[in-house]
Amino acid sequence: MASKINSPISRRNFMKISGAAAAGAALGGRSQVLHAMAADKAAQLSDGERKIFSACDMCFNKCGIIARVDKSGNIRKLDPNPNYLKSRGMLCARGNAGVAQLYDPDRLKHPLLRQGERGEGKWRQISWDEALDLAAEKLKTIGEKYTRCGFMFMAGTDLQSTFVHRFAEVYGSYNVLSHESNCLISRNRAFLDTFGIVPIPDTLNCKYIIMPGANRFEALVTPDSMDIVTAMQNGAKLVVLDPRYTKTAALASEWHAIRPGTDMAFFLAVMHVLINEKLYDEKFVAEMTFGFEKLRDHVQQYSPQWAEQECEIAANDIVRMARELAAAAPAAMVYPGRRSSDYEDSTQIRRSYAIVNALLGNWDRTGGMMLPHKIKVGTIPYDAPFYDNNPDDRVDAERAKMMFDEEGSFKHTRDAVIEGKPYPIKGWFTYKTNPMQTGANRNKTIEMINKLDFMITVDITMSDTAWMADLVLPAPSYLEREDPVSSFQGSSACSGVTIRNPIVPAMYESRPLFDIVKALAQRLELGEYFDFTIKDYRAAQLKKLPEVAAAIEKEGVYNEPGVEPGRHKGKPFRTVSQKIELFNQRYPDKGIDPMPVYRAPKKAPSGHFRLVVGRNAYITQSSSTNNVILHQLQPENSLWIHPKAARQLGISYGDRVEVASPVGKGQLAARVTDEIRSDTVYMDSGFGALSKGLSNVYGKGASNAEIIEDYADEVSGNMAMHETFVTVKKIQAARS
Amino acid sequence: MQTDTDKRYAIVIDTFKCFDCKACMVACKVENNVPDGYWRNWVRHTGGLQGKRTHFQPGQCMQCESPSCVAACPVDATYKRETDGLVVIDPDKCIGCANCVSACPYGARYRNPTTRLADKCDFCMHRLKRGEIPACVETCPTQARTFGDLNDPESKVSQLLQSEKLVQIVNPMVNTKPMIYYVKGTEPADWTVQPTLPGNVHMPLDFWSKS
Repeated sequence: MASKINSPISRRNFMKISGAAAAGAALGGRSQVLHAMAADKAAQLSDGERKIFSACDMCFNKCGIIARVDKSGNIRKLDPNPNYLKSRGMLCARGNAGVAQLYDPDRLKHPLLRQGERGEGKWRQISWDEALDLAAEKLKTIGEKYTRCGFMFMAGTDLQSTFVHRFAEVYGSYNVLSHESNCLISRNRAFLDTFGIVPIPDTLNCKYIIMPGANRFEALVTPDSMDIVTAMQNGAKLVVLDPRYTKTAALASEWHAIRPGTDMAFFLAVMHVLINEKLYDEKFVAEMTFGFEKLRDHVQQYSPQWAEQECEIAANDIVRMARELAAAAPAAMVYPGRRSSDYEDSTQIRRSYAIVNALLGNWDRTGGMMLPHKIKVGTIPYDAPFYDNNPDDRVDAERAKMMFDEEGSFKHTRDAVIEGKPYPIKGWFTYKTNPMQTGANRNKTIEMINKLDFMITVDITMSDTAWMADLVLPAPSYLEREDPVSSFQGSSACSGVTIRNPIVPAMYESRPLFDIVKALAQRLELGEYFDFTIKDYRAAQLKKLPEVAAAIEKEGVYNEPGVEPGRHKGKPFRTVSQKIELFNQRYPDKGIDPMPVYRAPKKAPSGHFRLVVGRNAYITQSSSTNNVILHQLQPENSLWIHPKAARQLGISYGDRVEVASPVGKGQLAARVTDEIRSDTVYMDSGFGALSKGLSNVYGKGASNAEIIEDYADEVSGNMAMHETFVTVKKIQAARS
Repeated sequence: MQTDTDKRYAIVIDTFKCFDCKACMVACKVENNVPDGYWRNWVRHTGGLQGKRTHFQPGQCMQCESPSCVAACPVDATYKRETDGLVVIDPDKCIGCANCVSACPYGARYRNPTTRLADKCDFCMHRLKRGEIPACVETCPTQARTFGDLNDPESKVSQLLQSEKLVQIVNPMVNTKPMIYYVKGTEPADWTVQPTLPGNVHMPLDFWSKS
């Protein structure tokens, strides 16, 4: 199914004239007006509009925005901030639709207390005093009865999530989960265990990128998504391995419809070629890596001919791509990707990407894997109290071989709560995260919630997770609140610092998370740990960084452009050997293969398809699909199915089908297309909502979370979402 | 039709850079209060699996130098501005007959369901007035659109016109001289619609002689 496409022609001249973003270059030309504005950040426009800097929150990227506020105080539009290097002066569809999130009629308006059964949707509006008193009382009684660790916390990617962690710690629970174990922790695990740090890919200056699985032109990461386009304009080659013809595949120089779950076979064969043809960077490997001889012997079993049988990519193509990679090295890379919650060996799969990068010698070199760099901001320190009746460890401890304690594993925590082992958990506080839609096996999440005595959810809308809660507290959106300073890594090309100020006052009765945990802390005699305002906190963060504060004031962001290559020179790697570990020395003691060992993916039972998940550029999972503007771009999801498979099942384009796995099912329209392999089906995430509070997506399409089984990566505890086989059957013919 | 306006605003689109994220569509919709279910701009695509790269092609009102919509308007509500060549609609004159909607070979116009008047892209005229560029141009992640004045030889669009091979997308029946240019070799060129006059009469080739 491989489709070879001619390399894009290089059109440097066009680039030069059109002034496309280049490394560290000022985004000149389109910002004259805004430069004028920068002198006075609330510059008044002729029609009475004011402009205020902020950072977007429609996904995790935090791109730079300038809100235009009209005379009556309403936000007219969000424009991109041209000064903002990370986002390259742009704003995507979701960023532009942020106004619709702010003025969404589905916003939570008042504190709500559950009346009927969980998930029944019967609520009573209560006052904030009543809500906070009740929440504090439950935190107290559950904490006393089951220890403080009997109340768990989960916070999504948000500038105020740090206060959830702070609250949990002083309250005394170390059962804190982030969203990341439903996303990328196995990628982090793999690169950390190879390089001792998670490197940043310098896509902008790369000449040859192999992108396995990742879909960077739809699942946007700024600035990688834009920088890869720029790199391609400069002649870079992009090779995409994906069972689906994504928009990234569509624009790639080369696309290979790899058999799902076999990426490791591909990269083991690439290692085989690089090593046996001596195409790897010999000097670099000798000086900087550990375990080369073992790796050389290990990969002898993985020839390109063998890999062809596994991945269904021709052996001579694998050989050619390995040679092309080596020829372009060190400005060549296997792109690490972001979401890696796919297979039970997803850490090992990513280890194979990391090892190829090591062999290419692209570490700390232009166009390769760069040393990350974040500007260090201050904090208001605290010493959390000690609770001596607490259990020894997290509830999900020991369930994965090498979990990140600071992220936890949603899958393993959920199992532990359901089993009540090793100790019971009876309370849950969630903030701006929606595991009902992002964690596989939704029915199991419901089962876990039904084990709880009390669940508190803070969010801006009635997400499916809020829908299951006992107490729902309305928070303001990112356009209505004061947030702490955020230091971020943009890419190899920049790092930066930004903040958010309220552009409009908090709507309805919404209160920021910070105010909520502060009020709870006061009620629990923990007030001393929150004895400050956000302004105090920001002042502490920027105390030693006056130039950062000044830049944020003037331009909405502080940029530190250009992470230079060679910054790591002479420094040891943070691994056992202090070198890049091709052979990981910590792994054998943990029962983990020290080098990636290929295990063929499970075969689909007859009549079944492998379900893979993903999204497009106007979806941020379930947090954006209800947005009234984005909803118009995509009212519901559909099932991508190959014409050959569809024909056998009597399914035509647009027919209503039922997709079923052992754990759940859903109905949606069939999108019969040859843009997917015939053994695989796909649907976008974020649909099939249970919550009637999401009026645009309630019952629309099918929910991945309902259908996917909850396998996990053995090493990191990351959810494994591509291990599920489903059946597909026709329910109703398309309306003609 | 006069083309000697003071400014001649144009957009050059490099579809090589477009990955169909639809930022331009949403930016436009918010900027111009485009009603639910309607859009002033779009992203089309071509190519696909048959060994070809896909090109995603953004488009909108072409601000034609010889606009069929202006000729089709019975009340002169749609006109071409002498100052900058923009094709605009005077809401005080528009009677909502929608002749212009069917006369546009690009399908760029629609009738606003609330106002019942014709509507389309005007290159964000109100933004231009305060020195800003159109919202779709500004927001584009990859800067696929370049905006400028063709009467200004220093403008980026003028330079691109000199240095690059650019094409216009033209309906074989009526060349309205569009002011949006596409980088050659990246364009789907076959999506124009058949312009018609009231009564569904296809416009004759000599349509322009009377205007």
